[in-house]
Amino acid sequence: MKGKQSFLTRITNPKYIMVYATIGIFLVIYALGAFLYADKGFLTVRTFVNLFIDNAYFGISAVGMTMVLITGGIDLSVGAVASLTGMFIAYGTTVLHLHPLTCIAAALVMGVGLGLLMGWVIHYLNVPPFITTLTGMFLARGVCSLISRESIDIRHPMIDALAGWKIYLMKFADGKWTRIRPIAFVNFNVILFLVMILIGAFILQRTRFGRNIYAVGGNEQSASLMGLPVGRTKILVYGFNGLCSVLAGISYALYVKSGWNLSLQGGELEVITCAVIGGTLLTGGVGYMAGTLFGVLLKSIIPALITFNGNLLSWWGKIATGLLLLLFICIQRVITASAGRR
Amino acid sequence: MSEKNILEMKGITIQFPGVKALDGVDFSLRAGEVHSLLGENGAGKSTLIKCINGVNRKDSGVILLDGREINPSGPYEAMQLGISTVFQEVNLCPNLSVAENIFVGRQPMKHGQIDWREINRRAGELMSRFHLDIDVTRPLSYYSTAIQQMTAIARAVDVQAKILILDEPTSSLDENEVQLLFSVMRELKESGMGIIFITHFLDQIYAVSDRMTILRNGHLVGTYGINELGKFELVTKMVGKDMDVIFSLKRADVSPDAPIMLKAEHIGDSSRIEDISLTLKKGELVGFAGLLGSGRTETAEMLFGATRAVHGEISVDGENVSIKTPFDAIKAEIAFCPEDRKRDGIIGDLSIRENIMLAVQSRKGFMRPMTHQEQTDLANKYIAILGIATPDCEKKAGELSGGNQQKVILARWMAASPKILILDEPTRGIDIGAKAEIQRLMLEMCGEGVSVIFISSELDEIIRCSNRIVIMRDRAKVAEVDGESCTQQDILRIIAEGAA
Repeated sequence: MKGKQSFLTRITNPKYIMVYATIGIFLVIYALGAFLYADKGFLTVRTFVNLFIDNAYFGISAVGMTMVLITGGIDLSVGAVASLTGMFIAYGTTVLHLHPLTCIAAALVMGVGLGLLMGWVIHYLNVPPFITTLTGMFLARGVCSLISRESIDIRHPMIDALAGWKIYLMKFADGKWTRIRPIAFVNFNVILFLVMILIGAFILQRTRFGRNIYAVGGNEQSASLMGLPVGRTKILVYGFNGLCSVLAGISYALYVKSGWNLSLQGGELEVITCAVIGGTLLTGGVGYMAGTLFGVLLKSIIPALITFNGNLLSWWGKIATGLLLLLFICIQRVITASAGRR
Repeated sequence: MSEKNILEMKGITIQFPGVKALDGVDFSLRAGEVHSLLGENGAGKSTLIKCINGVNRKDSGVILLDGREINPSGPYEAMQLGISTVFQEVNLCPNLSVAENIFVGRQPMKHGQIDWREINRRAGELMSRFHLDIDVTRPLSYYSTAIQQMTAIARAVDVQAKILILDEPTSSLDENEVQLLFSVMRELKESGMGIIFITHFLDQIYAVSDRMTILRNGHLVGTYGINELGKFELVTKMVGKDMDVIFSLKRADVSPDAPIMLKAEHIGDSSRIEDISLTLKKGELVGFAGLLGSGRTETAEMLFGATRAVHGEISVDGENVSIKTPFDAIKAEIAFCPEDRKRDGIIGDLSIRENIMLAVQSRKGFMRPMTHQEQTDLANKYIAILGIATPDCEKKAGELSGGNQQKVILARWMAASPKILILDEPTRGIDIGAKAEIQRLMLEMCGEGVSVIFISSELDEIIRCSNRIVIMRDRAKVAEVDGESCTQQDILRIIAEGAA
């Protein structure tokens, strides 16, 4: 009887191998940065926290995307939906003088509704997720341009307050609390990102819905033969991803304080990249929130390194990300191929 | 065993396009018995099973469970009624842990969360009841097929099933694992469960069942107690007496000094196929026997270049050839008619004419297209030779019955006049008349000097047609026997025991 397991057997379970790979590579790159740019302040808490601040909106979206990818699907509409959310808030508050919460409510209805609709089309009409969500992307992007083709600033006391709200990181020294130097803080976006990661992890690991997501991605036919609600699971996953897209859009709006119909173009690909280098299998069935968290950090540390270097063109960041993605997809292939062999 | 029937089926009829899969079949299952369901491939066993668990809808007839009529719309509903099925191919999720595969969809909850500790504890208990002491938290794909099969059974058992259907559960198990399964089956039977057991191994039927029901061509032959019928009578009832008349086929006549057309030496890739050597003479028909997954198809695919051999040599007509892709094989005049004709063979949206001319055209090269008239003549010629039932050659191939589709594929390769023809399960899922027809055509081609490799799960037709029979087991060739002198029992014994 092996009811209780030693900690060691639990953490050496082969299913976590991709997550370990992500964390390992992140640590290697972080150590590299520390080695090269320690004198420029790479090792400070501020640099580390900024990785979160500058990429929180990708991270929030990556939570939903991870779930979609685990089912074996993909969602290309997230960037456009996030952008449309920004347009709702910007146009609503600045032009229509609505309360931001009204605009956010409208955006939630739009995002979740579109997600559920796409999930329905994917499952019941059997249209491939790539095509369905591509359509969703064009639809949302089109509505963005319909609302306005110019960038609209967001000026509203509530938005300003939310965007400006921050918790300074403190340290305890000489019997009193002082702000650490250089100043580092977390804002609303960072907290939202971390909360979403926790919620995502809870859903995936502790609810039946979450386990059904894995089952559907592992083998959809088997899942349905085992009597699992395949259709409901897929539809809800796309709905939840719609919710994440809207939250990402709010987060981005707080970050740039404007709405623009062409913002976050290609954002969906960045989000997918985060999930994939976080160890989520594009073929479905495997993925963890911890992996996605480190995937976001790994993707965002590269531009940070380039900024610290100061001489490299920012395009090197794209090249490095591309290589990283390639590396991870190759690792995944090797692992799935060896797992498939009995 | 009680006399009470928990399941009763009366007059079950299921019609598939072009073939009556079941015709007025009666079947009953008692509580606490193991009831074997027997018949050749295509006799209707699987169809009957799928009718009980709701995968197929019956056209007429009644199913009574504990005296109440049921009409399950799918495996899920059947499961809720207390009918669990373990399919031949493991239908679980490879990415989930063993424990989770047993409990997914009905996980025990605690404080609104999944209680993983409870899941792993109970799964460990279930598996140790099967005498398997394994780490149930590892992903299913980490374990052998046997353990995966046991996991599927554990899942079926744990849902408090009244009826357990085991569809060829032993085909991928070794002897010890089979004994283990049997002891579990006996235990379940004692607890009052009714078990329907399908297998190809006659010995296993006698080892574990209480009664048996025999089907032939969708008809019920009869239900017998296990002691009422000896093995020989059983086989006769399964195959049917009239078969000999239908299959008055003669083996290909190969002279001892006929040239060797295909010679494969030690080909393999260590994962799909270990090490295969074989020769094929001109005009000879060699049968591949073995269980599903024993490597028959994989060998054929390797000979055809669909998968690449890592080691070994192949020579065709005395010349060494390097076959790395199907294109190389076609150049060497090898033709391959794959197992799944819907997926790999027939192109349903194209007409019969277009399907037949494909191989000829690709041999000629696309720079020299055939005229429409040439194509029509070619197609009509083979429609006549093969007796394809169609109004004309422009009918879409997808609209034909299974047997006729198979003939179209045969026509495609006959028209290309290959030296070597590999047929993978050409007679699967077609009715008995069409089967005989396909076998006749195969043998006629041998007579014209084509060398044929014939893969089939049905031993009787392998024995009937083959000059020599290659027996495969566990991805390797274990024996080669003479087609004329061997019996079905000989081959079954070699397959079961793994030695000549």
